[in-house]
Amino acid sequence: MSTVDMPFDDAPRAADSAETRADELVHKQLIKWHFSFGVAFLLTSMTAGFLVSLNFLNLYPFENIEWLNAGRMRFLHTNEVAYGFLVNCFVGALYYAIPRMTGKPVFSKKLGYLIFFVWQFLVLATSLGQLFGFAQALEWGETPTGFRPGSWDLEYIPVDFLIELGAVLVALQFLTPLARSIHKKMYVSQWYLTAGIIWLILTYVMGNTLPEWSMPGASGAATVGLFIHDLVGLFVTPMGWGLMYFFVPIILRTPVWSHALSVIGFWALAFFYPLNGVHHFLLSSIPMSVQYGAVISTMAVEIVVTTVIVNFFGTMWGKGYALRTNLPIRWFYTGMIFYFLTCLQCAFHTSLAMQKVIHFTDWVPGHAHLVMLGVFAFWIFGMITWLWPRITGNEWHNRRLNQWQYWLTLIGLLIMFIDLTAAGLVHGAMLDNLSPWMSMVEALKPYWGVRTFAGGLILTGQVLWSYNLWKTARTPKPYDYRVDLVQPEAS
Amino acid sequence: MDRFGSIITAAGLGCFAFAFVLSSLYPWMITGGSKPETNIAVLAQDVSPEFRDLKARWPVAFDAAYPQGVDALTMQQLVGVSPDDARRGRSEAAWEASYAQALRDGRDSYISEGCWHCHSQYVRPVSNEDQRWGPVSVWEQDNNSLQRPMLWGTRRVGPDLTYEGGLRSNDWHAAHFWRPSEVSPGSVMPRYPWFFREGWQVRRRIDPEIAERTGLSGDTSYALPGVYDSQAEAEAALQSTRDSLPNSLAAESERLFVEQGKGLNHRGLSMLAYIQWLGTWMPEPEPEAES
Ligand code: HEC
Ligand code: HEM
Repeated sequence: MSTVDMPFDDAPRAADSAETRADELVHKQLIKWHFSFGVAFLLTSMTAGFLVSLNFLNLYPFENIEWLNAGRMRFLHTNEVAYGFLVNCFVGALYYAIPRMTGKPVFSKKLGYLIFFVWQFLVLATSLGQLFGFAQALEWGETPTGFRPGSWDLEYIPVDFLIELGAVLVALQFLTPLARSIHKKMYVSQWYLTAGIIWLILTYVMGNTLPEWSMPGASGAATVGLFIHDLVGLFVTPMGWGLMYFFVPIILRTPVWSHALSVIGFWALAFFYPLNGVHHFLLSSIPMSVQYGAVISTMAVEIVVTTVIVNFFGTMWGKGYALRTNLPIRWFYTGMIFYFLTCLQCAFHTSLAMQKVIHFTDWVPGHAHLVMLGVFAFWIFGMITWLWPRITGNEWHNRRLNQWQYWLTLIGLLIMFIDLTAAGLVHGAMLDNLSPWMSMVEALKPYWGVRTFAGGLILTGQVLWSYNLWKTARTPKPYDYRVDLVQPEAS
Repeated sequence: MDRFGSIITAAGLGCFAFAFVLSSLYPWMITGGSKPETNIAVLAQDVSPEFRDLKARWPVAFDAAYPQGVDALTMQQLVGVSPDDARRGRSEAAWEASYAQALRDGRDSYISEGCWHCHSQYVRPVSNEDQRWGPVSVWEQDNNSLQRPMLWGTRRVGPDLTYEGGLRSNDWHAAHFWRPSEVSPGSVMPRYPWFFREGWQVRRRIDPEIAERTGLSGDTSYALPGVYDSQAEAEAALQSTRDSLPNSLAAESERLFVEQGKGLNHRGLSMLAYIQWLGTWMPEPEPEAES
């Protein structure tokens, strides 16, 4: 097995001393804490999303309470999910993956605890700031600048700057082992993770300063578009794929199918993805040459995606039964199918002909949930499901609850996606045919009702799972890794 | 190309910088960067009639929120002085300063309440949007400090607000912010009771003859401008209104009474000023280059 095709890890073998050594590099407590807070923020942010969806049905319970207003709750929903859930869980998984891939410990355990506490403080400061009226006008980055919009009058904790500082600490923590790796060549995961950490810092600084303090109107919009897209494409996506390239070969116990495809996938992502930014504001007053460029590179991204997907399905070749027998693998591959679908959708709806219809409508939240929940959250569910018994040392409290989570989330997401996509088409058509505004709102309400129902299914799934995680951590019951080995006749 | 250093420089820095130049710096150079943005003080030189109307409708809250130019009279003395009394007058410079402050405060609320997640602020050249709202947006009209940070939005749960200014009356907006579904039945826009303050108002019961002719109840009344902090201030205002009425209108003065009521507060007033400003500003066209 060539070193560049495997993440230098293998399924645990109890008596294996190399394995024990690899295990010592991992700080399990930190992983457990990051995962726990990540899941807690997932629950609160989903509850917020659920509440916002009630507002669309005129059923919002807190309409008279200023700081629980639906508009502010929406900030909380998207920000807690991004900074509270996704980042916490990715960082937790990095504490496992990076030391094992590089054979080196992270920079410092103490720094790890510092990052942990600083980060939770920042997530809370963000949510409170948003509820009390200090949100920033930057979609997906409504984290308070702390300053009065467009000025330098300080009125709240400057969360943005602290997040940048936090990102630098994260870089120090993880780039150190990546740079000092005991292996001469870098495995594909390491490319994604290294670049993703650097991109996070650059993206965050760019998006939180330029549109606020120096670029008005159209130029600000171009930069905000770039920020939204880079945050997803240059941080969340590389973390996701980097970790997939780590976990999938380990769990399937097989090398990545094609090294060449890995190379193409990575470099094409690095090159094309950031060029997409302006596609968030098409048909606007941003210069058309820039808009056309964004449309073309958005279509090009589909090629990248196809290479990566082909590579992963090649990797699974001959082991398809794992989808049935191994839940983490099932989460991963379901997510990959959704990834392919989302990006295929992108390639079409970035065209100006479709933009005309679907921009500004529910189609877009439909797309956003498919990618954020259907892909990245699914992958995280898979990773935590695989790691939780390994880091707590306890057998699952109840494995069937995990199956319930999978099916409730999958069905809920599919309903939500199809429903919002249909709503988007209705909305787009009614915008075009000059329907009175309220008749449009009334026409969309049934769809919004279905979205709330679907959200209820998803939320229920996560509550069951969280309960299971809690019970598993609390109830000592030795875990036998062999149950989870991928084999045709496994449990 | 799979060493740590080359990943950092080529992918991490290189690809990022390339995209940044093409999709942020370049559009900036040919739009905002090519012409200085118009700042709020300049935008506020053209005080909108709706802004002046706010003062006529909610004089007490208005003077408290925008004290520029009212120091001729103390707040106490202002009670009962009719809104168009010359002693309440503001110089044009004071109006502009008040307007600048109101626009900025209103914009800040627009951001922190998340209005921009439900309303867009640009009109596209497709989907008959120019028929629904007005001329297709050009970058020059957003090259001002109220669009930094820009507030274009990516979602239209509610209508586009690019040209909202002057479209509807201040009263309509006030009623709408109090409870959107009252003016637009079924609306999913949240209500904003914190744009309002409780106080005391002078109200006038309608003429019994008119009540009879229109079939309205004789108890129907409407509020005179002004929401006062205490009952005593409202009573004083009532008294001075009565005093100003000629004897021939004695019956009229009997129909005035004081009751608790609501009016816009600072936040509500500035939000209205901002909403009524939208779309009312266009930069001067560039002078033709000499050929
Ligand atoms: C949940 C989405 C939502 C939010 C948040 C929201 N609105 Fe609305 N808004 C609507 C909808 C839907 C309508 C159309 C129905 C109506 O008139 O209420 C509307 C209508 C309006 C109108 C009337 C437009 C016209 O001329 O017909 C204005 C003005 C307005 N909103 C301003 C605001 C402001 C200011 C805020 C923030 C304080 C805000 N909206 C927040 C959904 C929203
Ligand atoms: C219980 C499940 C959920 C419900 C009911 C829900 C509901 C909502 C609602 C009502 C909105 C506002 C849409 C609009 O403005 O029209 C929204 C936006 C969003 N949600 Fe969720 N959500 C849920 C779960 C999630 C999860 C798990 C994620 C990410 C992992 C997520 C990511 C987002 C994003 C990125 C947006 C912004 C979409 C956009 O601006 O286009 N949501 N959600």
